[in-house]
Amino acid sequence: MAAQNSTPSDLYKCVYTFLLENKFTKAAQQFMKQTKVTPQDPNEESLQSIYNFWVKSPEAKKRKVPPSKAEATNGPSAKKAKTSAESSSSEESSSEDEEDAAKPTKAALAAAKVVPAKATAAAAKAASSSSEDSSDSEEEKAPAKAPAKPPAAPAARKKDSSSSSEESDSEDEAPAKALAQKPKAAATAAPKAAVPAKGAAQKKESSSEDSSSDSEEEEPAKAPVKPAPVKPAQVKPAAAPAAKSSSEDSSSEEEAPPSKKSKPGAYSAVPPPASVQKSPAAPAASKAKKTESSDSSDDSSDEEEEKKAAAKPAPVKTTAAKPAAPKPAAKKQESSSDSSDSSSDEEEAKKPAAKVTPAKAAPLKPAPAKATPAKEEDSDSSSSEDEEEVKKPAVKVTPAKAPPAKATTAKEDSSEEDSSSDEEEAAKKPAAKPAAKPAPAKTTPAKKDESSSSDSDSSSEDEAPAKPATKTAATPTPSKPPAKKAESSSDSEDSSEEEEPVKAKPAAKPATPASKPATPTAKPAAAAESSSDSDSSSEEEEPAKAKPTAAKPASKAATPVAKPAAAAESSSDSSSEEEEPAKAKPTAAKPASKPATPVAKPAAAAESSSDSDSSSDEDEPVKANPAATPKPATPAAKPAAAKPAAKPAAAAESSSDSSEDEEEAAKPKPTAAKPATPASKPATPAGKPAAAAESSSDDSSDSEDEAAKPAVKKQAPAAAAKKPALAVTKAAAESSDDSSSEEEEEPKKAAPAPKPAATKAAAAPTKKAEESSSDSSDSSDSETETKSTPAKPAVTNGKAATPKASTPAAKAPAKPAESSSSDSSSEEEEEASKSTVKPATPAASAKTTPAAKAKESSSSSDSSSDEEDAPTKAATAPTTPLTNGNGKRKRDEESSESEDEETEEKTPKNKKVTTTPQTFPKANKKSSNVPFRRIREEEVAVDPRLADNSFDAKYGATGDWGEKANDALRFTKGKSFRHEKTKKKRGSYRGGAISTSVNSIKFDSD
Amino acid sequence: MRPGFSPRGGGRGSGRGGFGDRGGRGGFGGRGGFRGGRGGGFRSPEGGGFRGRGGGRGAPRGRGGRGGFGGGRGGFGAGKKVLVEPHRHEGVFISRGKEDALVTKNMVVGESVYGEKRISVEEGETKIEYRAWNPFRSKLAAAILGGVDQIHIKPGAKVMYLGAASGTTVSHVSDIVGPEGLVYAVEFSHRSGRDLLNVAKKRTNIIPIIEDARHPHKYRMLVGMVDVIFADVAQPDQTRIVALNAHNFLKNGGHFVISIKANCIDSTAAPEAVFASEVKKMSSENMKPQEQLTLEPYERDHAVVVGIYRPPPKLKK
Repeated sequence: MAAQNSTPSDLYKCVYTFLLENKFTKAAQQFMKQTKVTPQDPNEESLQSIYNFWVKSPEAKKRKVPPSKAEATNGPSAKKAKTSAESSSSEESSSEDEEDAAKPTKAALAAAKVVPAKATAAAAKAASSSSEDSSDSEEEKAPAKAPAKPPAAPAARKKDSSSSSEESDSEDEAPAKALAQKPKAAATAAPKAAVPAKGAAQKKESSSEDSSSDSEEEEPAKAPVKPAPVKPAQVKPAAAPAAKSSSEDSSSEEEAPPSKKSKPGAYSAVPPPASVQKSPAAPAASKAKKTESSDSSDDSSDEEEEKKAAAKPAPVKTTAAKPAAPKPAAKKQESSSDSSDSSSDEEEAKKPAAKVTPAKAAPLKPAPAKATPAKEEDSDSSSSEDEEEVKKPAVKVTPAKAPPAKATTAKEDSSEEDSSSDEEEAAKKPAAKPAAKPAPAKTTPAKKDESSSSDSDSSSEDEAPAKPATKTAATPTPSKPPAKKAESSSDSEDSSEEEEPVKAKPAAKPATPASKPATPTAKPAAAAESSSDSDSSSEEEEPAKAKPTAAKPASKAATPVAKPAAAAESSSDSSSEEEEPAKAKPTAAKPASKPATPVAKPAAAAESSSDSDSSSDEDEPVKANPAATPKPATPAAKPAAAKPAAKPAAAAESSSDSSEDEEEAAKPKPTAAKPATPASKPATPAGKPAAAAESSSDDSSDSEDEAAKPAVKKQAPAAAAKKPALAVTKAAAESSDDSSSEEEEEPKKAAPAPKPAATKAAAAPTKKAEESSSDSSDSSDSETETKSTPAKPAVTNGKAATPKASTPAAKAPAKPAESSSSDSSSEEEEEASKSTVKPATPAASAKTTPAAKAKESSSSSDSSSDEEDAPTKAATAPTTPLTNGNGKRKRDEESSESEDEETEEKTPKNKKVTTTPQTFPKANKKSSNVPFRRIREEEVAVDPRLADNSFDAKYGATGDWGEKANDALRFTKGKSFRHEKTKKKRGSYRGGAISTSVNSIKFDSD
Repeated sequence: MRPGFSPRGGGRGSGRGGFGDRGGRGGFGGRGGFRGGRGGGFRSPEGGGFRGRGGGRGAPRGRGGRGGFGGGRGGFGAGKKVLVEPHRHEGVFISRGKEDALVTKNMVVGESVYGEKRISVEEGETKIEYRAWNPFRSKLAAAILGGVDQIHIKPGAKVMYLGAASGTTVSHVSDIVGPEGLVYAVEFSHRSGRDLLNVAKKRTNIIPIIEDARHPHKYRMLVGMVDVIFADVAQPDQTRIVALNAHNFLKNGGHFVISIKANCIDSTAAPEAVFASEVKKMSSENMKPQEQLTLEPYERDHAVVVGIYRPPPKLKK
């Protein structure tokens, strides 16, 4: 070929031999003509061996390292194995293809040979499943985009997300993209060297590889980042979670294996179907992992597993993201979110948890899953899982709600995570994305969110109390900000979060764990809500411990990484997030106004990195969500389906509603924001909802607590804290809490809550944009959320809200007007709590609270303001809750000037979106209750002269023949009237003189 | 002349019996016997009609409340003091005595339609019998007593009476319009329609129509153009019903008199609002309301609206 120009090389022989061996006779002949090569000695090394050597060589490490490993094991054999795996089953093949793709990318060099195979594989992938293709395409796009712009990455994510199943993948890809930007350079180099032929696949691989390599390189510095890259890669393969885990694994190989193992187990545990897949996946994974040992292996294995799980389990799991959407997704999301936040361990744990969550949907399953996950993951995962499980069980009572909440939370988490990840880096993004994806699917995300939120919180907390609030706003933060609960909860959470952060911002994990623990505790404690403080502390401690152990050790890879990442994230996040927010804004802009808000937020964020983070997180979440949701969306109805499915699984009507609402809301907004990334937008909305849900959950819990302890505001705060914690911990927990609280307060709330949440969620995005400008990101987020919630409340209140509000009102009938903000928050919370949407609602509520806070203390630090406000809010909240029904109105009137504004803007969206519709029906119903009236008095103009139809008002009444009768009949009614009238009819009446005067009233005749 | 209340038997027989019974007439235990003699006895045209009642029956205290009316002391005027003067409304009279009463000139002398009192006045050789018109039983009477400016129902007029019921008021309208006038009595209820038919049997100027007033085309062949439509249908859509019939049978410049029962239209709304609403509806149907009057205290939450249909430009002023 080019031999003529090139100097004769010893490799020519090898090449020629290779061609011959591969039966490329014509090519070989042509080659021989061109180069005049002589046949190679049979004993000489084959081209493949050379390639392998080259790959393994130190020089190639940068590029190859991951690949090399992959190649080492994968090499031809690995590829073959992969191919075989592919052949094994379409699903597997798809997964394998993905894996292969991933591997190829990793082992691009090795792939060179395999290239054809890979190409086929790629084709197969494409063919295998649109999802994969989408993922691939997404990946490709993502990388491209990533380089282009960070925002682009989100967009890419969104696009990716559009693909249903591969949402996770897409998300991963997106992260990858994000990473890709950095990694690409390196990755591209490596891949290029490896094999240009691979093209897209290579790109993906390269991206993954790059990411991995980058991540590896960077890993030390930024574990999160690495994870992200890895994750992206993994994501590409299929499951974002896997990617995360892989990334984490890569970061900490030691941990990785366990995590992997755990993952398989988790998978098995989590997705029943997955289990089967797991087994296959496990082997494959094990092979890949073992061979690669590093990221690639992990990724591949993870991916494979994930893929397998997804594929085998069915469409659902196929793309963890997609399936995830339902349960797996949720799990994955959770795990992913966790992982993203914490690490692979967390992911694994989360996965189990996620599974559990799904299980929650189907309560039974979760427990087992959790157990396994817990074991695998250790304290963090276990705690989280346990918590989740616990929560779930508890939640189970209100399964529907909980699941939805989880789902939403998951979404939120994912969104948050995504945002965080985006902000932090690809690593986070992956995580976030995964989370996002998962989130939609399940509540786990909520947990993740919590974790994420916790992370953010921790970081933010570390940075500043206010930040925590903001962070919480994002997810947990929202809840905190929500203040009502948020106040207490936020405070407690903040404190806990702060503590956690202090320990290790890994906090993300800790946070999550904490959140989880909290939830668990909350549930348990739930009983002892009053002890919320203790719970929160315990939760905090737990998280801290768990996190510390996992995160701090660093060995924990997943968590550690996550933590580092979180730490880095927190720091970097703030910065990166800020940057990202900006990006996010662009992207976010598409999703909705969020981007705008984010931007505004950044400015506001300036106050505290946490705020910015939170804002960015929110934005990111939104983005991430978009990505996540997009995936679902892209698939078409996937988002919807996924959500619905998830909801169904959750069995929570409200959840479904909320999710739907969220989706709808998200969609509307997204569409509005960007037509291009509609999917992403939906996703974002979803993400927001999720986030909202999370926050809402916290809020809800807070509100609930508050509601529960209207009398004791102080206690309420504590309770709120607990609740928040619980909420944070898990959407499920939240849902459960909510449900419990709701139950306590009222069953009604549950149903209403979802809608509100949904509405809130929907509103939140829009609101965010609006709000973002003023308050810090948190505040903005919270505000936006709150706004959204407020909007909802306002709108919904009036309409849909009313029902919800009514319940809330019923619960906290007591205080209508204490503070609109509190009311709104409480309402939101209530609403959130009411339905699965709770998470969303919580978020909304949280947001609302923030808004309220904002109002109260404008954009002061969220945490401080939140806390301070929170108490007040809490106090008010209790009252407000009572007035919720009125509260909304009150809010509108009183507190929510800002809210009103926000709500106005948002409300429209919300209304349009979904919530309104739902709410409206209710409103209509109520209105329908209005007695039928042919004549509306208010609409009839009565002539003043005819205003009184009584006898006395008539002309000439005095002395009239009927005056006596009037005296007798005037005050009689019913039977006596009839009696008197009958007597008159008899003719015994004596009226005296009859006048012939005209006493009628004449109409003005022209 | 004044068979006293004995005619009530007849009235009762006509189907209005329910009425009487309900009214507590049952109280007149002795009446039963009375009825027996009713064949010709009750009508015994003696000078003192009401005294006649004692004529076969000898009921001791006879008529309780009613007795007081006509008989106890010899009725309104006991024949001697009763003075009947015309009312502002042509065809309507006022019996001035110890107690005033609204009366109409009985077209079928010696017969009471629903047990109302009859007052006979002798003017020279001729005896004129009037029938008492109880405003508690007739909304038209209530409107007249209440002081409505115009009823547009006068001797010789052709009247469409919607909601004729048993024909009590229709009988008085029949008295008012006299032999030259016509009353199209539309009633949808067969049960009350039976009484209406009995009333119409003896009053040739009454054309009973047992049909739904909502479907004027069903009796269009029976009805010619009318001067006045009186409506007492007590239906939510009564204005529409009146409009339908007006469009079909009411001459241009004809009048309508509508009794509105607020509770039948909307029991939850204020009567005044209901009336205003109905008046507004009328205006949209080429029915120009001219006056409105409450029927208190004779009827609760009732009002009567009098108006003109398609007023000729000239008529306006």
